[in-house]
Amino acid sequence: MRGVRKVALGMAFSFFILSLGLVYWQVVQADTLLANPANRRLILMESRVTRGGIFDRNGEIIAQTRVSEGKKTRIYPKGEMFEPLLGYSSVKLGASGLEGSLADWLLGIKKSTPAQAVQQLFALPRQGDDVVLTLDSRLQSIAYHALKGKMGTVVALDPQTGEVLAMVSQPSFTPKNLDQNWHEIISKEEKRPLAEKQRPLEHRYFSLFPPGSTMKVVSSAALLRSGMNTTDLYQCQGSTIINGQVIREQNDKAHGWVNYNMALAESCNTYFATFGVQAGDETFLSVAKGFGFGQKIPFELNVPRSSITQETMNPTSLNTNLLAASTFGQGEVLVTPFHMALMTAGIANHGVIMKPHIIERVLDPSQNTLFQQKPQPWLTALTKEEADKIASGMVTAVTDGTAAPGALPGVQVAGKTGSAEPGGNVLTHAWYIAFAPAEKPKIAVAVIVENGGTGGGAAAPIARQIIQEALNKKVGDKSE
Amino acid sequence: MIQRFTLRILILGMMWIGLSLLKLDRDMSPILWQALIFTIIVLLGSFLEKLLHYQGDPYILPVVQAIMALGLVFVTRINPAVALHQFWWANLGLLVFYVVLWSIRDYRYFGRFRYIWGLLAVGLLLITLLFGSEQGGATSSFKIGGIGLQPEEFVKLALLLFMASYLEENEELLRVGTVQWGRFSLPDWRTLRPFMIMVAFVLGILAAQKSLGTALVFYMLFVLMLYVVTERTLYLGISIPIFLLTGTAGYMLFSHVRVRVSVWLNPWQDPTGMGYQIAQSLFAIGGGKILGTGLGNGIGASTVPVAISDFIFSVIAEELGFAGAMAVLVLFLIVVMRAFSVSLRAKDRFGQILAAGIGILLGTETLIILAGVTKLLPLTGIPLPWVSYGGSSLIVHFILLGVLLNISNATAVSSHSTKNRGREYAT
Repeated sequence: MRGVRKVALGMAFSFFILSLGLVYWQVVQADTLLANPANRRLILMESRVTRGGIFDRNGEIIAQTRVSEGKKTRIYPKGEMFEPLLGYSSVKLGASGLEGSLADWLLGIKKSTPAQAVQQLFALPRQGDDVVLTLDSRLQSIAYHALKGKMGTVVALDPQTGEVLAMVSQPSFTPKNLDQNWHEIISKEEKRPLAEKQRPLEHRYFSLFPPGSTMKVVSSAALLRSGMNTTDLYQCQGSTIINGQVIREQNDKAHGWVNYNMALAESCNTYFATFGVQAGDETFLSVAKGFGFGQKIPFELNVPRSSITQETMNPTSLNTNLLAASTFGQGEVLVTPFHMALMTAGIANHGVIMKPHIIERVLDPSQNTLFQQKPQPWLTALTKEEADKIASGMVTAVTDGTAAPGALPGVQVAGKTGSAEPGGNVLTHAWYIAFAPAEKPKIAVAVIVENGGTGGGAAAPIARQIIQEALNKKVGDKSE
Repeated sequence: MIQRFTLRILILGMMWIGLSLLKLDRDMSPILWQALIFTIIVLLGSFLEKLLHYQGDPYILPVVQAIMALGLVFVTRINPAVALHQFWWANLGLLVFYVVLWSIRDYRYFGRFRYIWGLLAVGLLLITLLFGSEQGGATSSFKIGGIGLQPEEFVKLALLLFMASYLEENEELLRVGTVQWGRFSLPDWRTLRPFMIMVAFVLGILAAQKSLGTALVFYMLFVLMLYVVTERTLYLGISIPIFLLTGTAGYMLFSHVRVRVSVWLNPWQDPTGMGYQIAQSLFAIGGGKILGTGLGNGIGASTVPVAISDFIFSVIAEELGFAGAMAVLVLFLIVVMRAFSVSLRAKDRFGQILAAGIGILLGTETLIILAGVTKLLPLTGIPLPWVSYGGSSLIVHFILLGVLLNISNATAVSSHSTKNRGREYAT
């Protein structure tokens, strides 16, 4: 009976080969198969689940799926206000924004504990989890209405926790009936001449802009770290020559004798260029790195890195001409408004930049908390003394300087304007960063209005409205 | 006794848990009633084994019942509308199994019919070819009174019996050979003729029906049974060039064979067209990963074509994951290995050959369809025994199981009585 034994052995071996085949497909190739464009697994899995809702910090509905007669419709009661941040998710258009990046929570796929993962093996989630954002609809609404008709963006943060309170980019689009309107949105944009492009899908808070004079709050740290005394006086003559390069003031205005606070308040380019070059490129670059330049920002959405030079994300040296221009935010410096808001929050929070986040909590369908975000520090950009000195300069900018339109009665606001030259014969981008109250900051804001002119004129009033509303409501005060 | 019952209760419990986990929109009660009948038959059957002193292999039946239970759960999960039929067939199949197990007094009796079995096999195939209806590209089903029959399945039974009786009769001649051809001694033409005619007819008709999978199963059955009986590697050696030649000829002559092969080599070329089946099958299997999506959570049941029959394993591998798919493989491996062990113990040559044949048949069927859905071999659609939807396949495999366990029981009973007889002499 050797024959039977041999055939039996052959069969057993074949079964073994078969099990290797299973290993290959279920372990080795599993992810490749999932990524195959013909694989409709994710879409089909999604269509069975009722997508969870998205709420703001006060429980107001931002997005919700209503089921009636077995038909699911995603409603966005706030309309255009939260776009493009909120994004969309549809079979036809795919997914973007928060609807895309929060999909694993909203579809109930992501589980934070092993117990939940095991539970999922036996019962497919039919109802996704709800996500509560840190956003505040009222601040979002104010920022949206203030920006409406302009091109620009607003980012508001709680400096003590890193919570994102508002994030608006204009122009945007209405999320309602997007499948039908998509073609119109795209074709309208395509027909516009280059100079009038509105870029309604662009997340402007993540777009890179030259920071203009708002960069001076970063340069300030380099100046302070090089041992400069804030009370020393400097005579501004309207322009100066450094290493053969002419540095001009805006409108060639001579500020006369200024100390540090006055230089920041009046946004004196020659002051920062002169002392910045004295501080040296190494100090400047290390300060910039400390503020997060060239670094990946840990956030739920993907934020491009800000950079000092075009060539490399983390330069080790800078030539004098580029260094001089960088100190007041020209040269090759590029910053995202989101990062600008973070840096402002870092100054407000005594030098510590908190890790930004936009998810406050995730709740399962029976409203048990699955996940809760805790405040965590990200970078320590400044010492407390440095932060306080820069904050004091920013207060002067609001009380006696270019940031005066950002002032509020009864509250001390710290601010800094910027008018960044985007290149070409166009109006400057109007920048404004601020936090308030200066002594115990509850909100930090960064605003940019593209080709809006001066920061004080175009951007500061928008921030002022937001700060006013925020302080009335005591945003971030959880004891309320 | 206790062990026998606990095992059955575990298997049935698994089925009931599976059925209760399914969230179906329709009324489940007829299915649950049938499941109850299935439960009763399994338990009564196991009681009957005790009552009638069953002494054969104790593992095969519970393992097959476990496979059957799994199959029932998955057929219900994939298509609850037809699951009721599958339960009917399963219950009928179990009854047929017990009838075969207990009613055959002496399986050697079947050996007497010899060529009748061969004629029956060819006849069944011819009828299907002439009057059968086409389904899924193959002319293999046949309708009688509203019930679709798959005569191919019954041909398996007839062919096995023919092979066993033919090989038993001509064993010596095939083993030794009478004609010298170079270094090899081959059997003479008169001995080989009936066998060759059967092979040519069966495979020819199946090729004409485009039932490539079944043809492959039968070819493997012929070759391996011949090898098992004669133990001559020569026959295996001859079979490979013959297979390659016919395979190449088929590839050159028939476009559907070419399509199968090209889809096998690259299903991604056109995953929405010709490669659709295999691509969807792999998407389902790959989606299962290690622990699976969970019962009822997969997408394969709706995306994979004919998920309920040929591709049922893809759905199992998806929803139970690698762990569950391996469990299914192991269950089948146990059945096949135990069948060979029955063959090794059997006291008479006919029983040995028949049991080995059943083992070979079950093994090749399982391997060919599972290798097909996992893209190890070009896909040839055949049902997975006891799991895939289909009455004919179920009934035939239960008959085969009945024969196998009858051989096993007869072996045990005879050795028992021989032992007793020996003792008589001693006293």
